[in-house]
Amino acid sequence: MLFPLTHDDPYELGSYRLTARLGSGGMGTVYLGRSPGGRGIALKTMHARIAADPQLRSRFRLETDAARVIGGRYGAEVVAADPFAETPWLATEYVLGPPLDEAVDRSGPLPETSVRALGAALCGALGQLHLSEVVHRDLKPSNIIVTAYGPKVIDFGIARAIGDDRLTRTGAAVGTPAFMSPEQATDQEHTPAGDVFALAAVLVFAATGRGPFGDGRPADLLYRVRFTEPDLSAVPAALAPVLAHALAKDPSQRPTTAALGAQLHDGSGEFADHLPDLVLDEIGRRATEVWQFTPARLPAPAQEPPPPPAAPPEPTGLSRRRLLIVGGGSVAGLAAAGVGSWALSKGDDPAAPFRKPTPGPSVRPLPKKKLDSLWQKQVAGPPDDLIPAAPIAARDLAMLVAGTGLAAFNATSGGVAWVSDKGERTWQLAPDGDELYQLLEPKGAEGHKGDPWPLQLASVDLTSGRAHKPLAEFSDLNGVMYENQLLCVSDGVLYVVAGKGEYSMDGFLPSQSWSVFAIDADTGKRRWSKPLPSRPDGSDRLHFLSATVVGNRLVALQETNGGKVRVIARDTRTGDVIWDKPLAVAKPDSVRLPLTVDRDHVYLGCGQLRALRLSDGGQAWSSGSARPGRTYGPPSVKDGVLYAVEKGTGLVAADARSGKPKWVERGGNGVDAAVTDRPVVGSDHVYRKGAGTLAAIDLSSRTPARLYKTSGDRFIAQERSNVVIALGGHFFAAFPLQ
Amino acid sequence: MHAPHQGGRPGRTGPYRVVTGLDDGASGMPVPEGRYIARSADGGRTVLISVPTEGADPLRFMAEADSSRYLLGPWSSPATELAGPDEAPWHARPYLPALPLPTALLVHGGPLPERTVRAIGAALVETLSIGHGQGLAHAGVSPAAVLLAADGPRLGCFGAVRVAAPDGVPRSGLPGLESGSLPPEQAAGGRPDPMGDIYALGATLAYAATGHTVPESHQFPAALRAVLRRCVSRDPAARPRPAELLDVFSAVGAPVTGPASSPAPAPHPATEVDQRPASRAEAVLGPGWLPGRVIAAIAHQSARVLAAEPSARQPVTTHRQD
Repeated sequence: MLFPLTHDDPYELGSYRLTARLGSGGMGTVYLGRSPGGRGIALKTMHARIAADPQLRSRFRLETDAARVIGGRYGAEVVAADPFAETPWLATEYVLGPPLDEAVDRSGPLPETSVRALGAALCGALGQLHLSEVVHRDLKPSNIIVTAYGPKVIDFGIARAIGDDRLTRTGAAVGTPAFMSPEQATDQEHTPAGDVFALAAVLVFAATGRGPFGDGRPADLLYRVRFTEPDLSAVPAALAPVLAHALAKDPSQRPTTAALGAQLHDGSGEFADHLPDLVLDEIGRRATEVWQFTPARLPAPAQEPPPPPAAPPEPTGLSRRRLLIVGGGSVAGLAAAGVGSWALSKGDDPAAPFRKPTPGPSVRPLPKKKLDSLWQKQVAGPPDDLIPAAPIAARDLAMLVAGTGLAAFNATSGGVAWVSDKGERTWQLAPDGDELYQLLEPKGAEGHKGDPWPLQLASVDLTSGRAHKPLAEFSDLNGVMYENQLLCVSDGVLYVVAGKGEYSMDGFLPSQSWSVFAIDADTGKRRWSKPLPSRPDGSDRLHFLSATVVGNRLVALQETNGGKVRVIARDTRTGDVIWDKPLAVAKPDSVRLPLTVDRDHVYLGCGQLRALRLSDGGQAWSSGSARPGRTYGPPSVKDGVLYAVEKGTGLVAADARSGKPKWVERGGNGVDAAVTDRPVVGSDHVYRKGAGTLAAIDLSSRTPARLYKTSGDRFIAQERSNVVIALGGHFFAAFPLQ
Repeated sequence: MHAPHQGGRPGRTGPYRVVTGLDDGASGMPVPEGRYIARSADGGRTVLISVPTEGADPLRFMAEADSSRYLLGPWSSPATELAGPDEAPWHARPYLPALPLPTALLVHGGPLPERTVRAIGAALVETLSIGHGQGLAHAGVSPAAVLLAADGPRLGCFGAVRVAAPDGVPRSGLPGLESGSLPPEQAAGGRPDPMGDIYALGATLAYAATGHTVPESHQFPAALRAVLRRCVSRDPAARPRPAELLDVFSAVGAPVTGPASSPAPAPHPATEVDQRPASRAEAVLGPGWLPGRVIAAIAHQSARVLAAEPSARQPVTTHRQD
């Protein structure tokens, strides 16, 4: 994906002129650029601040060397490099194709023939590296670009430098251990056989959408990589034994790259013959996009980002409760901009905290008025990488969980109203009108030693952030459980998921019993409880992704043990399941968003736009008939009109009752509209995300009236204050809601 | 035809420096104009540039380029830049990675799948209809005029028949005109009109489906045989109307009955979506409309042009040879 440059990006590096951003992380930024002769290239840079560390700078040089070794067939051809510049840079060919992780996110697990062709080609790539006595050590889906002629392996050094950096600081390997070999996980020597292990893990991901050791907290993954057998249950039968062999714990048992390559694929046909349509489509789209992108540079934000943090980045990846056990140390305070896990997020992070503004030729920023946020705050990342933070609106506040707890800002001014440093968790908070409720964190760290602690529920004093006296307490439920959830609150009834039994730091235990409850806030009594399935040992997948109440229905997205999502409607009076329908999504986490409902229907995006009847769950309509072949982001509904982003088109409006299309965004800006979040509906405008922007679509002209610059990826309306709250990157911001 | 110039033309045309030729001589299909991918001197803009073939009338060539500026629709290819009055003739539009239809058959290794033929057909019918509504007969539809980009076809070579010879002059066998897709009335010197475009479209789609603009009857895909044969009727009045063609091409998988059966009335397009002409072609251009090797060759062309340094004078191939 191509993104506009930000105001403080350099204009040139070496003799290359920068034209767009390709991605950004804590260590550096990757740009699209062109030579004086017009050759298009990818330019990878390391932040000058990070390059000040001689060890990290030498890593950059090593990466340059490794990229040269792998060459243009299996990697990105190196065009030029200057590892000694103040901002070290590496210019390579711009590889046209999606990274494997994005390809799988987009198209779902790949068919067996794709996995085999991909695996054989990657064996060739690794074989070539190993012949030159280079070991990759960080093979993972995001480091593999799927082109029409075969995969190319990129990113040799920077990610590894991050891992090593953390290793030395925390004494525990963290990062993305899902594709790490057992020997690497224990900090032993990583040989070519380690790359073979990682390759097999990558192929399991390609074939199933999940790594062989699942997802979750790094420490859990490391444990599983070392001690448990890989989960190959979803791998095609003929492929499973081949991959199991390559995932042997003992490096000497694994096949060589040549042997594995031969087992995977006989080399027949061209690589493109083995790719599914959706991946080919994405390759074609990227090959075209690079010619249609108009270079642009975003203006400076209204407020300069705060100065770089004085302290070095804190280690990330440790789960919140581990830190509590260690002694409750503060990971990163609000506005102090600790580097949370978001620092490594790709793409639009236009205000990464490290970048030094680079003076360039005198291009004036655009007029400020048009693009400014009302306010913008730099915030720490979520305390846990399990679940991203979500903005919460209540009264005149905009709130979120960041750093070590809940923080509230005045939605109009952006002033900090209060910070409650109690380790609140996003999934244990829920608003109801002007109130906010929470599951109480046990007092002090002693509760975390494993002793049960009663489950307590309370409302939050929104003037101070302190919890009121508990409104209910249940000693048969274990309040220590990290996986307890406050689903939603409606009409004074709290819908809660809670577990009984022993608590484990490492996720669910099969011995625990879990239920969903309705609890009356006035009486503190349970109205009903209904059992939930047990989670497998070590799973860290919360039972519910989203829930809401409409009429006498509790509608929820529930994740099954198989990683599938179901839409389940219960009677709010009895808890009985009224209906239960599957929802096809590539990744459950993509629907961890508020549900869109009205009196008649539940509206679902992600793929086709669909309306399910609240009464029986039957499909009332889908976009497949009126707009076949289109895909949509999650919808919003207001006054009988449904709004959603149609991929490649922009905002569309449809009659909520019938599904009939009403209108389509005009003006040509909708091509890059994002399908990741719900539109925010105001009185005269509907707001939807674009590439690095929030577009306000005028409801009468149906064209973008305003484009606000933002790195936000979650947006909600704060209606009382008439603002749109945006959260993303390290920024929390507000824009006028009109 | 990888030589970066033709007919004694330098590697520089207007403000652009030629990167590579677009067309691959290997298919043997005539191309009515010279087409090159070229880049501005500062490297900032890449265009597809067209120049007349040797012997073509430069005034007629530029007149057609001028008219093409008014073409509408997502799959037309209007000129966006024209040579100045004192310059040798050329016109240009922004570059988009795309393969000429004959090249696509070469890289695919034979005729294209029926789904691809239908998608091309639907998009070209819509494009021609828009032009006809503007009073513009395309008069240049041929296999070489169809470029396949990743998101849909682009119809180029506007007015090639009128450039080749003025009305009233027989056009059979003129260089650059592909005889199978030249309507008989235009070959005889007749003034190009919309029904001639239907003939040329039928022959061009026959080429996509069989590799020949005048195939043997049995070579057609069964579902399209009847309608394509009616397109190439000698009698213009017997050729199908665009609305019928659009029905046939966008009815995925539905078999098509013979010419005698009255065509089903066109379903009313989704007029609920206001302010935007509903496009049925767009609906058939989803993922999978192009075969994998054609997409691969488009991506390859994009990568090669992206990586080209015109000053280095290295030859650039526009599709993969190995």
